Amino acid sequence: MSALGTASTKDLVAEDRSRTETPRRRRRRIHLSKMLISFAIGLVILFPLFPLYWLVISSLKSTHELLQAPPSWVPAHPSFGAFKEAFDAVPFAHSFFNSFAYAGTATVSVLVTSMMAGYVFSKYRFRGRDLLFWLIVATMFMPPIVTIIPLYWLISRLGLADSYLGVVLPWLANAFGIFLMRQFIGDLPDELIDAARIDGANELRILWRVVAPLMRPAVVTLGVFSFVYYWNNFLWPLTVLQTTSKYPVVLALYQLLSFNMSAQYENVVLAGALVASLPTIIVFLLAQRVFVQGIARVGVKG
Amino acid sequence: MTAGVQSAVLFPSRKRHAGGRGTRRSRRLHEGRWGAFLLSPALAVVICFVFAPIALTIWISFHNWSMLTPITQMPWVGLSNYRTIFDDPTFRSSLMDTVIYVGLVVALTVPLATLIGMLLYFPRNRLKGFASTALFATYVIPTVAVAIVWGALYEPSYGPLAEMFKAVGLPAPAFLSSPSTALVSLVAFNIWQMLGYYTVLMIAGLTQIPGELYEVASIDGAGVVRQTFSITLPLLRRTMTFVILIALINAVQVFDPVYLLTQGGPINSTDVISYEIQRTAFEYGLAGQASAMSVSLLVVLGAVAAILLGLMRERSR
Repeated sequence: MSALGTASTKDLVAEDRSRTETPRRRRRRIHLSKMLISFAIGLVILFPLFPLYWLVISSLKSTHELLQAPPSWVPAHPSFGAFKEAFDAVPFAHSFFNSFAYAGTATVSVLVTSMMAGYVFSKYRFRGRDLLFWLIVATMFMPPIVTIIPLYWLISRLGLADSYLGVVLPWLANAFGIFLMRQFIGDLPDELIDAARIDGANELRILWRVVAPLMRPAVVTLGVFSFVYYWNNFLWPLTVLQTTSKYPVVLALYQLLSFNMSAQYENVVLAGALVASLPTIIVFLLAQRVFVQGIARVGVKG
Repeated sequence: MTAGVQSAVLFPSRKRHAGGRGTRRSRRLHEGRWGAFLLSPALAVVICFVFAPIALTIWISFHNWSMLTPITQMPWVGLSNYRTIFDDPTFRSSLMDTVIYVGLVVALTVPLATLIGMLLYFPRNRLKGFASTALFATYVIPTVAVAIVWGALYEPSYGPLAEMFKAVGLPAPAFLSSPSTALVSLVAFNIWQMLGYYTVLMIAGLTQIPGELYEVASIDGAGVVRQTFSITLPLLRRTMTFVILIALINAVQVFDPVYLLTQGGPINSTDVISYEIQRTAFEYGLAGQASAMSVSLLVVLGAVAAILLGLMRERSR
């Protein structure tokens, strides 16, 4: 840890020789503050990673070892048995397929509908535009539980309760996507679009050929955000679905948890939780730089 | 329904550029049609699955309804659902639980995110990038999995947190299984999952503060502490208000860990409002009362959001 501080400390000391403090003393002070900072950053890293570490080692433990008190901090005989059991106890593999279908469909649809709507809200002028836009944005602040009753009624009325379409239909567009795309597209110069119009391109072609290629950060940000959001969504599938074969991963996990309420299967539940989190973690790690910047950019302006 | 709304709303009010085809009027009509076409998919979904359900929730809240009978036949009861829920000690304690939970989340998250944001923005350190990735990564983990992980950490007899308490000679709390600690224990789930997200927002706010301010201040001899209180915190207030708003909205929605781990207990100590609404509607079949709860929640949230947004606007002036 001390190695981190030394290089830049030397420069600082060289610059500030003229100060009243002796170089040696000043150097020690800077050194100390550097160490404190490294220590604090170490804590910041430990906070998210320790529970994840516990998740990994617990899922690798045997039932016997898991119930030991005091707990072991490194599994004595790591095995993947709990993972196999998780897949045997509930149709986990199938629920993965379901989750990819739900989250995938929703993500693609949100990207398309948001880009179209964001383009209109940022580049068209019509009466009531801003009112309509802010009405939509206001719904971002609404907890989903508030509309769950009529939403469930509506989907049942359409004959879509307990169906793939019933899960996905309300997910085909969202206010956050429209908001994000309007911000990103709004930053494009109008001249770019006007030039394409003068060249005789129609609006769909402009959107696809001119706007979309410049929207890579927006597409990545919104894509990752939507995929994660819908992959993790628990309340809505819980409300619409009854048939276990249509369950997404998070509901399969819930099933696993309720089957295994007794502590002796905790390693199986934890193994399930680990597997269920992998797709979103992988997607995040692949896109993280662009995604985090995108989220920050939306935050700054919003 | 949607088509009427769109054509009323989409009539373009300004000609965008010279050199277009046809007359000004046909040009406008042309653009109006494209606008309606491009807007309609998103607008249709938002109207059918967001706007209409909000209106329906308000409508249902004035009726007696079990969700089993046709919605057209539900009897009108006026404000009686509202009277019933506010007279009900369970709902009142659920409001209290929600206020405590949300209050704790906001009171802990915002200072922590500010502090960590500054820590990951100002000093030079090789671990900064890794720290922000690790911190943000928890945001993408399903809440259901978060609940399971923390359930294991909180295990009173062989969990690691109980072990840490014992190591420093303190009696291990019962965490989720005692009414006095359960709600507070749930707060950790939310903070663990969301802290990275709020920190990123804080860092974004920090990047908006001009660097020259710090240069001038340090020439004037202001130290780190002085700079923090005279430059960073005052100029970060807008971002902080925004983070408070987001954290509040996010915390109010807490449902998954309660449903999975505590079912509102022990002794209703974790019976937060989302859980109470879901239980009232889908377990007790009292959709009218559940809707009245939803509307009350919306009204309160709307008022709080308006105040916070008003504060933000005032400060940005």
